[in-house]
Amino acid sequence: MDPQAAALLGAGLSYGLAAIGPGIGIGIVVGNAVQAMVRQPEMAGQVRTTMFLGIAFTEALALFGLLLFFILFGQAG
Amino acid sequence: MMVWAQIVEVPEDINHLFDWPAVLPWGINRVVLLTFLATILTFLFLYIPFRKPRIVPTKFQAMVESLVEMVRNTIGKEVIGSESAKYEWLLIPMFFWLFFLNIFEITPFINFPVTSRMAIPAFLAMFVWVVFIFVGIKKQGLKYFINTLVPPGVPAPLLILIIPIEFISVFLIRPISLAVRLFANMIAGHMMLTVFFLTTSAYFVLGPKLIAFPVPFAFAVVITAFEVFVSVLQAFIFTLLTAVYIESSLHAEH
Amino acid sequence: MTLAPLLVFAATEERSSLFLILPDIHELIWGIVSFVVLVFLIWKFAGPALAATLEARQQAVVQDLREAETAKEQAESLLEDYRKQLADAKDEANRIIEAARETAESLKAELVSKAEAEADQIVSKARSEVAAERERALAEVRQEVADLSIELAERVVQESIDRDAQRQLIERYLNDLERMS
Repeated sequence: MDPQAAALLGAGLSYGLAAIGPGIGIGIVVGNAVQAMVRQPEMAGQVRTTMFLGIAFTEALALFGLLLFFILFGQAG
Repeated sequence: MMVWAQIVEVPEDINHLFDWPAVLPWGINRVVLLTFLATILTFLFLYIPFRKPRIVPTKFQAMVESLVEMVRNTIGKEVIGSESAKYEWLLIPMFFWLFFLNIFEITPFINFPVTSRMAIPAFLAMFVWVVFIFVGIKKQGLKYFINTLVPPGVPAPLLILIIPIEFISVFLIRPISLAVRLFANMIAGHMMLTVFFLTTSAYFVLGPKLIAFPVPFAFAVVITAFEVFVSVLQAFIFTLLTAVYIESSLHAEH
Repeated sequence: MTLAPLLVFAATEERSSLFLILPDIHELIWGIVSFVVLVFLIWKFAGPALAATLEARQQAVVQDLREAETAKEQAESLLEDYRKQLADAKDEANRIIEAARETAESLKAELVSKAEAEADQIVSKARSEVAAERERALAEVRQEVADLSIELAERVVQESIDRDAQRQLIERYLNDLERMS
């Protein structure tokens, strides 16, 4: 296989695959945060902050995939 | 691609979007100038309303005050606790500076997020890394590293696994993810905006497809609104994580 | 320093393959300078004013809260007073009503007994009058009967006897009759 083509294929795959897990994960985080906010509306502020923290940690994984995309894309070009 | 390139100015590749040649000596290019602009704006934003402070504030003063209070309370007091006042010197300028650097992404006639270049996220992440290690050593002495790397209540054989994992996650992944999160969010937002606005402009220019141009344009508008939210959120998250890391260095327990 | 690795990795040549994700050396240095200057300027010039304003605001808010607290306490004590007064008034009213009821009760009892006594008196008076009347009527009737009997007897025997002796005779006879009946 042509190394350039392999790099481009890997670039696309890396981000696509990296987005799956965090996508599900962020869904779970936000869903549970909403439940928590509904159950205890007086804690909503704190839950929201924690939710953003959770999203940030989860999202980082997808963003590493994006980074990998840039690296592989650079290899291809 | 070939047809578009003749009519619309299309970048050759992704890199072209982020490559700015130096326009002044000492390597000062557009990104550096925007950094200066953001710095000046941040300073004025925090300085002007409080030059002649009033107890019954003007609208602008009230807005800045509520934002500063938000940083102090939501990020500072709720996360760090009673010692938060010691770290406000870092948190408050960091939040507003990052906000201005991010919001340039959708500011008309600027349209370039400075944080989509790695320099500032990397610098700030390294700076936060230094700060939280420094705070840890100052608070707990050299035991800080032991407290951080060895979680309490873990059986001894597992430590062979735990210590490298903790080391990687605390001292390597933390700064990298901090920098990458900000940088990748902004670069992705900038690329999305570029794609949709280029598509809009290409459809607009290409007569036969004129009918289709509202679709990417609508997407572009929606994404612009979304990027406002992302700009605020990323500045907030960066500052919040800084506070979280500092807090984790203050106390031995996890 | 700790930033050394960044400087080493910073892309200096044109468009390396990692151009997108490595920090540009000039941007890095100017970014650091900007941030340091920013932090210095803010906490040199904006910081004290900002802290003072926020402090004043907080003081004002605390003051307001305290005043509101005092006002609330006052209002509550006032309310308590009113409530107490109201309760007192209610007690007073109850007491008055009770007293009135007692008075009415005793008055009623007195009236009833008085009326009963009067009625008894009237009844007994009527009864004695009736008895007297009857007595008188009986006496009259007896007189009449005696006279008629004498006349009748005079006419029958055509013999005049002493009127008084006859009366005595008839009287005796009537008494005998009465005794027998």
